[in-house]
Amino acid sequence: MTLRNLTTVGLFTALAALAMPSYAEGDAAAGKGKTAMCAGCHGIAGFRTAYPETYHVPKLGGQNAGYIVSALKAYKVGDRSHPTMKAIAASLTDQDMADLAAYYSAAGK
Amino acid sequence: MNKLLIAMLAVAGLGLAGSAVAADAAAGKEKAAMCAACHGADGNTPLMPEYPKLAGQPADYLEKALRDYKSGKRKNPLMAPMAQTLSKKDIKDVAAYYANLKGDLTVKY
Repeated sequence: MTLRNLTTVGLFTALAALAMPSYAEGDAAAGKGKTAMCAGCHGIAGFRTAYPETYHVPKLGGQNAGYIVSALKAYKVGDRSHPTMKAIAASLTDQDMADLAAYYSAAGK
Repeated sequence: MNKLLIAMLAVAGLGLAGSAVAADAAAGKEKAAMCAACHGADGNTPLMPEYPKLAGQPADYLEKALRDYKSGKRKNPLMAPMAQTLSKKDIKDVAAYYANLKGDLTVKY
């Protein structure tokens, strides 16, 4: 391979890396250790949130990791308005969100 | 006699109120055609990782999500126009349809 070809390949690789979304990589094991705030509601079958409206909280097990992260970010920036979830999401870093998403998205209970 | 009349009226009133909000999963299936393009024909295989699985999620949670998208309380440029097209009855029907489907979602502690 000529030097010129190598340079081209190198440039493409660098561009591809830049084009990748900058999501934090989730660690399911670390996420399991961060569920203390979640489990009291989402870990109980049939649990209903009582404020400001009464309805069942969503199931998280098996949900898409990307969606869990986007939901948490939406609470953090105010695009979703549940008061408890807003407060919890505000306390989470991008890494925390990715870890929790990795934990909940994996199959199993 | 008056009491009997009141009781009968009350029962009739309850019946009316019930039918006005009753969810119809079969009707919801037809209305869910526009949902399937992104959330998957089975509600369990979304097109993108950022889209949620819906199958098996509690009906009242799905209703709440659609109501909030419709009112703008929950901000999402993709879901807002979809929810705008749904009546209160449509929302009930579509939510009942997805709640009754079986998918990956579980209550995970």
